Amino acid sequence: MAKEMIAMLLAGGQGSRLYVLTQKLAKPAVPFGGKYRIIDFPLSNCVNSGIDTVGILTQYQPLVLNEYIGNGQPWDLDRLHGGVHVLPPYQQASGSDWYKGTANAIYQNIPFIERYNPKYVIILSGDQICKQDYSDFLKFHKEKNAEFSVAVMEVPWEDASRFGLMVADEDDRITEFQEKPKEPKSNLASMGIYIFNWDVLRKYLVEDEADPTSENDFGNNIIPNLLKDGRRMYAYHFSGYWKDVGTIPSLWEANMEVLNPEDSGINLFDENWKIYSRNSGMTGHRISADALVENSMITDGCRVDGTVKHSILFAGVKVEEGAKVEDAVIMGNTVIRSGAVVSHCIVGENVEIGQHAVVGAMPAEGEKGVATVGPGVTIGERAKVGPNAMVSNDVKEGEEQW
Amino acid sequence: MVNSNADALGIIFPNSYDSLVPELTSERLMASIPFASRYRMIDFILSGMANCGIDNISIVVRKNYHSLLDHLGSGRAWDLTRKNGGLNIIPPFAQKAVKIYHGRVEALASILTFLKSQKEKYVVMSDANIAVNFNFSDFINTHMNSGADVTVAYVKAEVPAKAVEENPTSDTFSYTLRIEDGRVREIRINPKDAGVQDFSMNIYIIDRELLISQIESAYVKGYIYFERDILEPQLDTLNVQAYEHTGYAARICDMKSYFDENMKLLDAKNLDALFEGNPVYTKIRDDTPTRYITGAKVNNIMAADGCIIEGDVENSILFRGVKIAKGAKVKNCVLMQDTTVEEGAQLEYVVSDKNVHITAGKELKGTDTFPVFIAKKQTV
Repeated sequence: MAKEMIAMLLAGGQGSRLYVLTQKLAKPAVPFGGKYRIIDFPLSNCVNSGIDTVGILTQYQPLVLNEYIGNGQPWDLDRLHGGVHVLPPYQQASGSDWYKGTANAIYQNIPFIERYNPKYVIILSGDQICKQDYSDFLKFHKEKNAEFSVAVMEVPWEDASRFGLMVADEDDRITEFQEKPKEPKSNLASMGIYIFNWDVLRKYLVEDEADPTSENDFGNNIIPNLLKDGRRMYAYHFSGYWKDVGTIPSLWEANMEVLNPEDSGINLFDENWKIYSRNSGMTGHRISADALVENSMITDGCRVDGTVKHSILFAGVKVEEGAKVEDAVIMGNTVIRSGAVVSHCIVGENVEIGQHAVVGAMPAEGEKGVATVGPGVTIGERAKVGPNAMVSNDVKEGEEQW
Repeated sequence: MVNSNADALGIIFPNSYDSLVPELTSERLMASIPFASRYRMIDFILSGMANCGIDNISIVVRKNYHSLLDHLGSGRAWDLTRKNGGLNIIPPFAQKAVKIYHGRVEALASILTFLKSQKEKYVVMSDANIAVNFNFSDFINTHMNSGADVTVAYVKAEVPAKAVEENPTSDTFSYTLRIEDGRVREIRINPKDAGVQDFSMNIYIIDRELLISQIESAYVKGYIYFERDILEPQLDTLNVQAYEHTGYAARICDMKSYFDENMKLLDAKNLDALFEGNPVYTKIRDDTPTRYITGAKVNNIMAADGCIIEGDVENSILFRGVKIAKGAKVKNCVLMQDTTVEEGAQLEYVVSDKNVHITAGKELKGTDTFPVFIAKKQTV
């Protein structure tokens, strides 16, 4: 049975700008928003949009991601025909190769796509926080009788030169593509989400592969080639919440925005567009009589005896009596001992922060910086971690790291 | 054969003791009563069995079981979606000649064909009225090593006042044991003895072949109750051993004990004791984490995911999706799934069932011995 549209999710990125958080983890597997991982967003969007076949292209540190995806049941993607499939590079009779670029990753999986004989293929990226109805995007694609459509966001003109930009006419037909230009002609930034007619995509992937000078990248090669040939290319305007969480500050900021859905626009509480995730299976959280909790999100398994303000605690986090957590993102099973002060930072999973240790600091006027503690690290008693620190090894009792 | 699984199949009677909490069982059964902020009563026994490698579990339902079917689904949450065995829900056979069963003898007689076709050597049976992290592995091993015909689990506890006072009606018997050197010598039915007793948990293990022969002969004689009609008269000939459960156990005997057992979990010691060791699984609802909005004041609570809290909450248990608006005050309450409390409402000693709606400014107050109960989907 042919599928109308299947999704290919690019999840192979190393996410090197998340440093310690992605040393042992692919970027799409990075925890987000109290009980999710980044990849929950595109996967849930797929299911909520009616897409039941998703190929996930992985190659960097795939273990956690593979286990997390499993058979896809949490996203209702355990299907007899279709469902979710993790697609690492594999050896073929002609030899084997890592995915050389985003386009090459799809090229190597042409046989996978052909199994489902789809009319359309949507290319998604595994490192964005966004709630989007892909079926509306497909409707646009069909209405325009397009061969290629890209989802675009209007960005402020002063930021435009940081993005890949689509220049489009009044009918939204794309006339020019600018990759991070010095002098932007448009403020329509590509979100890296594309819908292709499969026959067109297939042709360009094969041609691109045959070109030895190509970087095998959608943005640098495939899209310019389509333009050159005057293909029917359209820009689909998306105006909801969208955030690339590729850096520590943007990841921290996106988490904080979850705490303020009224203004930020990222509403996870929408019953009509649930974000699914694999469950921790822990018991309800406890907030004791000595605790103080303000403007925070807390999930199963947490035990709060101290103060938690404007923070997100993931499953199983313990905040002992007298400890203070403020403006912080604390990932699963981390323990914050009594008297510790943890502020303006991201703390990875399974971290122990010793008694009276200090991690991060509230930035003073004009300062920036989010302290980051990598997963599994132990911060000793009375140790100090500075406001911009990136901690990947244990910090011993009383020591300081800036 | 490599076998990490137990050589026992499980049978759970989800309707036992329904009539003790008529308020909570008007539209459900004992097994699906919500407990401990995100669970249903059956989750504890079911997870306990699954965690100990019992992967062939039958649930013999009697009535009001829609909520249970919805909760259990295919059994995936307990990893019981198996080709062989797995979760097996047995509804009453709708036929004129077949009555809804009363006691365990009738219930087991109705599944004799099934029992005969199974391969496991032992059968483990339990009700669902006790929230407990029960170690079925140890229970099964103890039984195997003792050479007993039957082993019954008990706790040292007082028989609840209500059970003592109650006229014996069909499914509310409580049993205490007189034990000599580990062997049960007497089973007392609805005893009037005061103080701590060896109080049966109604968790049994018995050889499957023995169970089949006992049920066959009891059923033709018109017997109804396993304890009263099979065990008690044969205590001299059957070797019935007692197994003490020393861990935490929360038994639901009436509305008061339901309230108290929930509240007890606000003490971290009790919470740890109930949930230590093996995980307790439940149906996944995919709620977001609970959100505490600026202005919320919380003090000594346990809450599940999906709550939005803007008001004051003290000494309370909040189930999934509870919403408490600004200016509302909730104290000493157990609020089940999706209860909403509007602005300025004040609740004290209230147990609200699912989807209860308390409109703005209402005041409801019970006492610690008599919490106010608000039935499912009611608007105050």
